[in-house]
Amino acid sequence: MNMRRFLTPKVQTWMHRANPASKLVMMLLLFVMTLLTHRLDFIFYQAVLFIVLLFALSGYQPWKVALIILPFVLVFVSSATTMILFGKGDTLWWAWGLLHISEESFYRGIHIGLKAVTFASQGLLFVLTTSSVALFYALMQQMKLPPKYAYSFMASVRLLPMVWEELLVRRNALLIRGLRPPRGLAGLATGAKLYAVPLLSQSIRRAHRVAVAMEAKAFDGSRPRTYFYPTAYSRYDLWIPVLLIIVQALAYTLAMLYPPFGIADVRYH
Amino acid sequence: MNIAAEVTALRLKFPGEENFVFKDLDFSVGRGEKVLLLGPSGCGKSTLLQVLCGIIPNLVEIPMRSTSQRLPDSWGILFQDPDTQFCMPYVDEELAFALENRGIPREEMMDRMEDVLTKVGLALPDLHMPIDALSQGMKQRLALASVLLGEPEVLLLDEPSALLDPEGREQIWQAILRNAEGRTLIIVEHRLEELLALGLVDRVVLFGPDGIPIGEGAPAYVFAKFQAELERFGIWYPGVWEDFFSSEEGQRLLNASPLEGRRDVPKLVELSRYQGLRQGQPVISVEQADIHPGDFVAITGPNGAGKSSLLLSLIGLLPSEGVYLLQGEQSGHRKGSKRMGKRRKDNRMARSIGFVFQNPEFQFVADRIPDEIAFSLKQDGIAEQDIAERVSHSMRQFSLVGLEERHPYQLSLGQKRRLSVAGAAVRRQPILLLDEPTFGQDAVNTFAILALCEELRRQGTAIVMVTHEERIAHYLATQHWEIRGGRLVSREHTPRGRHLFGRGEVEGARKERSLRPYAQIFS
Repeated sequence: MNMRRFLTPKVQTWMHRANPASKLVMMLLLFVMTLLTHRLDFIFYQAVLFIVLLFALSGYQPWKVALIILPFVLVFVSSATTMILFGKGDTLWWAWGLLHISEESFYRGIHIGLKAVTFASQGLLFVLTTSSVALFYALMQQMKLPPKYAYSFMASVRLLPMVWEELLVRRNALLIRGLRPPRGLAGLATGAKLYAVPLLSQSIRRAHRVAVAMEAKAFDGSRPRTYFYPTAYSRYDLWIPVLLIIVQALAYTLAMLYPPFGIADVRYH
Repeated sequence: MNIAAEVTALRLKFPGEENFVFKDLDFSVGRGEKVLLLGPSGCGKSTLLQVLCGIIPNLVEIPMRSTSQRLPDSWGILFQDPDTQFCMPYVDEELAFALENRGIPREEMMDRMEDVLTKVGLALPDLHMPIDALSQGMKQRLALASVLLGEPEVLLLDEPSALLDPEGREQIWQAILRNAEGRTLIIVEHRLEELLALGLVDRVVLFGPDGIPIGEGAPAYVFAKFQAELERFGIWYPGVWEDFFSSEEGQRLLNASPLEGRRDVPKLVELSRYQGLRQGQPVISVEQADIHPGDFVAITGPNGAGKSSLLLSLIGLLPSEGVYLLQGEQSGHRKGSKRMGKRRKDNRMARSIGFVFQNPEFQFVADRIPDEIAFSLKQDGIAEQDIAERVSHSMRQFSLVGLEERHPYQLSLGQKRRLSVAGAAVRRQPILLLDEPTFGQDAVNTFAILALCEELRRQGTAIVMVTHEERIAHYLATQHWEIRGGRLVSREHTPRGRHLFGRGEVEGARKERSLRPYAQIFS
């Protein structure tokens, strides 16, 4: 309940009103573009600008956005360090056994870290402005996704909190019975089994019952469906590609004018 | 007669099972009839329901054969578990799902939703309301509403009130009654009081354990003629409690000799200005309460009032404040208490308190039944020989003999419940907490569980049971605690408690708000 309230936006921005299906397509195109960016300065400004957009367009209070993007630090550090410590490079700065940091690997690490953060903020911008129900309604109506897949997904979203609650009950039960799994790998396997068996058996039974209940309500696709939430294209669906082009263009211009690193291509040749 | 649903010479067998569920069964229901199917658990009533509407074999593939079958023109089915009948997160979206399937234009949807919710007696301020925010009883009425949107001519009800509290049971049957007009009803249900009080049923069909009908007719006739079978099959027919307690077995259960001198025995639990906390907020407050060895405390109250929270804080899974003396020692872990200290207390609590969860499966930890019972004993480092002895004693006591090689998950509902009690009580802890142990159980199993609790109680164990059955509080308990809105609002020593303990009439006055000091009450 609290989670639901926490994840309700304070205001609806025009990003919320755009058609989720077309928004999804735009976002996928954007992902590809970000993926193919090798200019460190460009990716730096993309990360910055999409984080700014998160604050401006998600419709959430700034403190919530700040809280949600806090884990980005972890994303950045974890994806950057591997490349920094193990990546190839010619200008060696520091080495210790297997670990060696070169100038090239350092910048490539920073690049990958920033890329991960950019992906995360782009994805978050989509997720925070799109409800799952709205997305599936749009996919059914605009993208002709078969209803059986759309409703299966929506039903499973509903089942997730129940699994979480059962996990807590199971943890309590194991605590009460004084169960301490043995240490080490064997303990990990025993522990996983102790949780997986009851949770899976419950979930499978529940999913089966939900499926029968859904099909019993004439959910067989024999008649043309109507839709409770009609989704259509609107001018907002034009605004999104326009916005994304402006943002990318701005990021590129800034990278040209004020390059913080001055590296055109981080790839190792 | 005009037939609504019919099957002749039905043969059905579950894959991998030895016996037929049905062998050459003829069954038919007339249009407009209200039929109730009765029988012991596992006799195939629910399966028959699913065959009659074609769920089997169209949706659930189970091999079956019949010489002829007539499916209803339109039908809807209401299942037992309120939580597994929805696919959408909000009330309006869930109802819309049923309307969309039928291709109802969007403009008509709102009106139809409001209309059907009125029909089932579910008044919501806003239709865009999360389903999770509804009580179980309300969810079940929503599920009925969603089924009614299909305008079914035949309404199939598969134990729709089995998992509801008494209030929810009453309301769902009221709602069904309001919508029964002009429909054919085929009902499977174990809990009959509310259902029969409304006069909803015209024909009762009683099945034997092997899926063969052994009798049918008007309710009054069947209940008079087949009383012995109903009792044996564990059906909750009206008056089943009274019959049980006047039977020889029930009498043996009730007639315990007073516990002479037990008043001098030290209290097991003393609570005073006690609060159980969730996320720092009190969710259950107890001004004053105590439990003696040999007490049977029945805790009643509406859903969400804090009954389970009280049990969880007594066993130390929720932090608590105030005085909680467990066998004379301050207990219950406080917020921010040191980890080491907490762990030692947990151990002590686990040695003094057993806990039986509402869903038995969640507390099973072993793959074999004897291992499940022996689990806690092995942890205590008891000698193998003693463990074997105590396990075989438990197996006999809880009627689990002959099931040694089964996995706990392969047991019947009643066997699972007995095993969960066996596993929790095997340490012979002085206190046993049970969270709605009779919920969803048939009458026979309920009485078996109560008999086991009473047996433990006579050996001196204090039983603390959360329950919706007022009769348990009335007949068996020695104390009745009532919880409402996160408070213990009344703590009463029942006549039985007064008899067994020789307690005074007035102690534990009905209103606990103006509490006198404990010593004054007992002097």
